[in-house]
Amino acid sequence: MNLLNEAETALCPANEPNAEVPNNAAGHYLLGLIHSYTDRRKSAIHNFKQALAIDPLLWAAYEELCVLGAAEEATAFFGDSAALCIQKQNINHASASQNMHISNEDCSLLSTRNFGSEDLSPRQLKRTQGDNLKGIPGAATLGAVYQPTNGGLPNLPLYNTPSTMATQFSGVVPPPLCRNAQLNAPNTSMLITDNSPKSIVNSNIQAPRRKFVDEGKLRKISGRLFSDSGARRSTRIAAEAGANSNANATLVAANGISNSSKYLGGSKLSSMALRSVTIRKGQSWSNENWDEGIHNETFDDSHANVTITNYTSSPFGDARSLETEGASMPVSGAIMSASRVLSGASEILGLLRILGDGYRLSCLYRCQDALDIYMKLPHKHYNTGWVLSQVGKAYFELVDYLESASFFSLARQASPYSLEGSDIYSTVLYHLKEDMKLSYLAQELISTDRLAPQSWCAMGNCYSLQKDHETALKSFQRAVQLNSRFAYAHTLCGHEYVALEDFENGIKSYLSALRIDARHYNSWYGLGMLYLRQEKFEFSELHFRMAFQISPHSSVIMSYLGTALHALKKNEEALEMMERAILADKKNPLPLYQKANILVSLESFDEALEVLEELKEYAPRESSVYALMGKIYKRRNMHDKAMLHFGLALDLKPSATDVATIKTAIEKLHVPDEIEDTL
Amino acid sequence: MATESSEGEEEGKITGGNQHLIVDDDLREMGKKAAWSVSSCKPGNGVCTLCDDNLDSFWQSDGAQPHLVNIQFQKKVKLQLVVLYVDFKLDESYTPSKISIRTGDGFHNLREIKTVELVKPTGWVYLSLSGNDPRETFVNTFMLQIAVLSNHLNGRDTHVRQIKVYGPRPNPIPHQPFQFTSREFITYSSVR
Repeated sequence: MNLLNEAETALCPANEPNAEVPNNAAGHYLLGLIHSYTDRRKSAIHNFKQALAIDPLLWAAYEELCVLGAAEEATAFFGDSAALCIQKQNINHASASQNMHISNEDCSLLSTRNFGSEDLSPRQLKRTQGDNLKGIPGAATLGAVYQPTNGGLPNLPLYNTPSTMATQFSGVVPPPLCRNAQLNAPNTSMLITDNSPKSIVNSNIQAPRRKFVDEGKLRKISGRLFSDSGARRSTRIAAEAGANSNANATLVAANGISNSSKYLGGSKLSSMALRSVTIRKGQSWSNENWDEGIHNETFDDSHANVTITNYTSSPFGDARSLETEGASMPVSGAIMSASRVLSGASEILGLLRILGDGYRLSCLYRCQDALDIYMKLPHKHYNTGWVLSQVGKAYFELVDYLESASFFSLARQASPYSLEGSDIYSTVLYHLKEDMKLSYLAQELISTDRLAPQSWCAMGNCYSLQKDHETALKSFQRAVQLNSRFAYAHTLCGHEYVALEDFENGIKSYLSALRIDARHYNSWYGLGMLYLRQEKFEFSELHFRMAFQISPHSSVIMSYLGTALHALKKNEEALEMMERAILADKKNPLPLYQKANILVSLESFDEALEVLEELKEYAPRESSVYALMGKIYKRRNMHDKAMLHFGLALDLKPSATDVATIKTAIEKLHVPDEIEDTL
Repeated sequence: MATESSEGEEEGKITGGNQHLIVDDDLREMGKKAAWSVSSCKPGNGVCTLCDDNLDSFWQSDGAQPHLVNIQFQKKVKLQLVVLYVDFKLDESYTPSKISIRTGDGFHNLREIKTVELVKPTGWVYLSLSGNDPRETFVNTFMLQIAVLSNHLNGRDTHVRQIKVYGPRPNPIPHQPFQFTSREFITYSSVR
């Protein structure tokens, strides 16, 4: 809602205790976002790092760090220390939950006693669970903690989270809890009817059930599981309260920890609920949610084999699902052990490490390295929508549009409703001049989500390809309206303004894009081109240099920097830059051509001719090459060769202006020709 | 009325006209950034009707001949083509017959570059500004004036439904001697 000030003040005093949020990490992440939106780069970086330190599985924070260009090696964040950190977290949760366990017990007993159902004696509980648990001696513990019954509710405050949770969802009782209770005690239907004060009781009833799933040493795990589910529930609440990305971030974190697909399934479904909540908000955060939702799917796929049951039904589904849940609980609990936590965590972290490194490198525009890293991913992960579209983006930055297009189409097959990266895909199709595919993509995107900026970017690219710049501009402006933080939409607006020769508005658009994301090299490039056209060469050089600093491997930017330097008459630097550009990308003919241009202006015609001969091999149907060669021969007074090349250039159908120029040049040759002067 | 144009250019006479406006991709409209004015007009049929893309609305002059349409640019532009929409069947004696095109820096130094005579035109009429010399493909000018010297059936006032002015597309990549034509060059020529 753009009330950044209020958000910041809400987070800042609450940052230390942070009772609202299960992990401090999410609070830090939000604070970091606020700082990055308000241009406080250092504090933003600091906050994201803290968020990652507290919760190493907070992928969104790492993503933001990459975008800010301040990310370190992924191993720094997703290393072994992180795994230990996670385990520590579990132990913390477990010990706290042990206290909770006591108080839970009391609560449940109290509640049952309130209802006066004699059946709910501890032994009864034990029995019902015993059926499930195949005689696990949880009864002993139960008996042991049964003593301090009078403690009851006052013991609750020992563990903060449930109390806040209770206050938060006093009115909202998640149905699975109800049904858990149902499963727990067959005759607690009365329990469900009385919602408000008993919600906490419900959760507590669930807790002990899970507690008794395993033996003493497994209690830690279940404690963690409970806190996860608790966290999940609170995140769901938080989501409804509006802190979308926060919730989803902790969701990812919660997901990352647990190994069972049940939780993943549950969280996937709750993330789907979140998705439906957030999908119409049209903010970039909803796109992040998509991203993380896709992450969830990735994790799901990867861990499907680890799990025991396939938990597919929605938590808001029927009660039968919970029986399977109940049945699977003991089994999975029996298999899991404390060491499993560590191994599971390190597995996840290994995955995150690869993804993180890949993402970081592609944000630094070291695209070849990023591609190599992504290749290291196991096959299942590589073929997910997110990774494929990242690979597509990397190829796009390498100006290999054909590969990029193929990867993007694979990504769209893998996850056809994901909008992330589809704006880049539309640009790739624009470059390849595939107007049919582009218009199909645009139509598909609009029908998927009319309120997403990416769809309108694709639509705008489609119009721009057909040279209808005014409609393209309108589409891009619509994209900007939908999400003013989507930097690429601003850049595309700028491009259209320049095409319409409206330079003032173009500058404005580019600058707004840069305000949102200072590392958006396309805007720097756009400004450089604009100033080049306006012949303000110093500005042009400055902007191209900024773009070059951000993306130092792009041969296109290097060649334009060289052009700007040449315009400023710094010819040696220009030539040097061209050499670098030529080396950077063998397939790019432009630096060679520019080099020839510069050499012509320096009057070293022979070298220029050499370069142009080379170019002729590479691009035999490019009329400007022949035209330039013709010009050089004319300067050298080798008229017949000049004539030949001009003729070739004309054959290749250049534009009207060039036809005029070339014909004029031919006229001036004063060569006695069989061909008529009036060509 | 098919899409072929029936242009006979002996002595600058043009007959017929196209129903559809078809222009080279190389050309782009220059009128949007120009200042348009007319020598006289009837209220309700003013200058705006000439560039409103509406073929039903027309400009009607209201004074002595020659009737003038002046198009002024902020900087010197290259122009290649002028297209008029006139219809003898609808306008009869209001249809222009003799048209002169003049260019220059301003009102004080306009010079005629082309004269045509229209014979019962019914649609878009293309008037190319290029000379015979390849050097004269474009006209480099600040101002363009279209003068209606006489009408069909000796009408006094004239109707013109639409006027469009075209010039070459600028090089999308600035500071280049020639434009790129091949796909390899164009792919690498810009970042989007």
